[in-house]
Amino acid sequence: MAKVYNWQLGREMEFPYEAARPEKQFAMIFDTNKCIACQTCTVACKTTWTPGRGQEYMYWNNVETKPYGFYPLGWDVNILDQHGVQPMDGPVYQGKTLYDAAPSGEIVLGYLPDDRDYAHPNIGEDDCTGLMPQGAHFTLPHMQWMFYLPRICNHCTYAACLSACPRQSIYKRREDGIVLLDQSRCRGYRECVRACPYKKVYFNAQTRVSEKCIGCYPAVEGGRQTQCTITCIGKIRIQGFLGAPDRVDPDNPLDYLVFVKKLALPLYPQFGLEPNTYYIPPIHVPPAYLRQMFGWGVEQAIATYKGAREDRKLLGALTLFGATPEISRYFRVDGDWVTGYDAKQSEIVRVPLKEPTIVRQLYDIKHKAYRTNIT
Amino acid sequence: MRHRHVATILMGALLALTAPVAAQTPITAVRIGGAGPITDPLAPAWAKARPLKVAMLPQTVALPRKPDAAVKELTVRALHNGGWIAVLIEWKDATLSDRIVLDNFGDQVAVQLPVQKTAPPSPMMGNPGGRVNIMQWRAAFQRDLEKGPPTVRDLYPNAWADVYPDEVMSASDARPYTGALGVENPISRGRASAVLDQMAEGWGSMTVKPDQHALGKGVWKDGTWRVVITRPMVSDDANAPQLLAGDRTFAAFAVWEGGNREVGSRKAWSAWVPLTLSR
Repeated sequence: MAKVYNWQLGREMEFPYEAARPEKQFAMIFDTNKCIACQTCTVACKTTWTPGRGQEYMYWNNVETKPYGFYPLGWDVNILDQHGVQPMDGPVYQGKTLYDAAPSGEIVLGYLPDDRDYAHPNIGEDDCTGLMPQGAHFTLPHMQWMFYLPRICNHCTYAACLSACPRQSIYKRREDGIVLLDQSRCRGYRECVRACPYKKVYFNAQTRVSEKCIGCYPAVEGGRQTQCTITCIGKIRIQGFLGAPDRVDPDNPLDYLVFVKKLALPLYPQFGLEPNTYYIPPIHVPPAYLRQMFGWGVEQAIATYKGAREDRKLLGALTLFGATPEISRYFRVDGDWVTGYDAKQSEIVRVPLKEPTIVRQLYDIKHKAYRTNIT
Repeated sequence: MRHRHVATILMGALLALTAPVAAQTPITAVRIGGAGPITDPLAPAWAKARPLKVAMLPQTVALPRKPDAAVKELTVRALHNGGWIAVLIEWKDATLSDRIVLDNFGDQVAVQLPVQKTAPPSPMMGNPGGRVNIMQWRAAFQRDLEKGPPTVRDLYPNAWADVYPDEVMSASDARPYTGALGVENPISRGRASAVLDQMAEGWGSMTVKPDQHALGKGVWKDGTWRVVITRPMVSDDANAPQLLAGDRTFAAFAVWEGGNREVGSRKAWSAWVPLTLSR
């Protein structure tokens, strides 16, 4: 085991390979407050990458309702249960990672799901934590709650799937940190399926090898965001590249939201994989639950989100979500506008921070009718 | 990772040294008449070969390990006809496992020969510079050959899909949607033999050879697998031993009990056993 630095834990940890951060890291940010679980992302991914035989119940992208939705069934509560209660106080994580917690003879703590755990991809949809009693009113956080958690492969810096493969069939690309599974080298041992705590590697019974999200690399190589991002009708996602904690560029929208504003948080950072999809936590959910899921920065992130309207640069970064199919490597806020730039600093998109409001006449003279919506 | 490799090599060397392979009772490949591959595990000729019990140990050196590997012993016989050498491997297995889905693993057995027949490298899949020829029989391949590769409907009788790419696209356009099959991964399906002819120089280096020479067949009956693995004694394959009548070499074995979720390094393996080919 080598010692590597995991910035999400604020400390070094043990990992089977020496640290080798990519030149830039594929990353995605989800604003969970905006997701409505329409599954457009799921279908976009499905039709693009996994319509084949043996992939019928394989969703590289899925959206599940928390706390009672899971794909596969019980994925997070199962591994959390095995991991045991860990201290989640931060800023330096004092608990065990899944590598620390590996039983004798294993590389990482994990479990192999049952085949049938994949049979109900949208189980628990819209299930709330409880019934609203008569006369209840909404406060923040809500007394009864649920929220939607969109998920793809986290393209982890310290990927468990990669570390568990005895054949090095899984590799992390130096140029963009995308984690890929070599379809010609895999022998279907399922060690990756067992190891990934997010259960984002899938076994294909038709080909007898495992498959996973490829980060839409053909698009990303061409400067275009992933299918799940550009098809999102709620504009809840932005995909781009993350620097590293010692190479933060505040003009990169992802670096700005993750490192500078600390608004977007990793999923289950305590596992120790340094996952690279980040979540703006839902503001209506009790922080005790969110702390276990997104780490110790939850309260601060919620406070930052609530104050976003007063912070023009933050508002600008959030406005870039869903504003362009291309990858915004840089952004700048000038006056009432935010501009996104590509890797060559060329402008790719320009969006107003506030949509202009146009009020039309109530009576439409041309059609001789009253309008029901005039703004 | 380098540390793991060094540990692997040291441990392999240690085990190779401590196992007094030359002192063991050899497997004798008895010469029989006939020509061509010897593939029938129930052939009467096997009565001519003396059975040898080979102790199987759980693989507990490389990660991940399987300390509770199910198979403790194989019964091995060998024959040759001057052109082909064959081993018959028998072991108790109460469950026939040949259906491969996420949580179902297949029964498998492998015989390993050193490419340099008089100098066996580490018994654990060889070592860098010490190449071995590993021939692995798989119950799932056997089933594919006998009943045809299972369709999704065979594996999941209630499965339903509206349309597949290969139903509405040309074969070449649909190919990207076939995953490992589209890149002709040799472990997928559609094989001509139930035995993979492979080479290795240590853990994680197993490679299916471009030229496949090994054949074999397995029969599961009354809770026992009887599997024959056979290959030509001489071939133009530089990654296989060239064997002649009268030769002395070595063989090692590995076995996977699919019902015990054994796969990859989660297996039982043997030390080198001397192998003698009768004149």
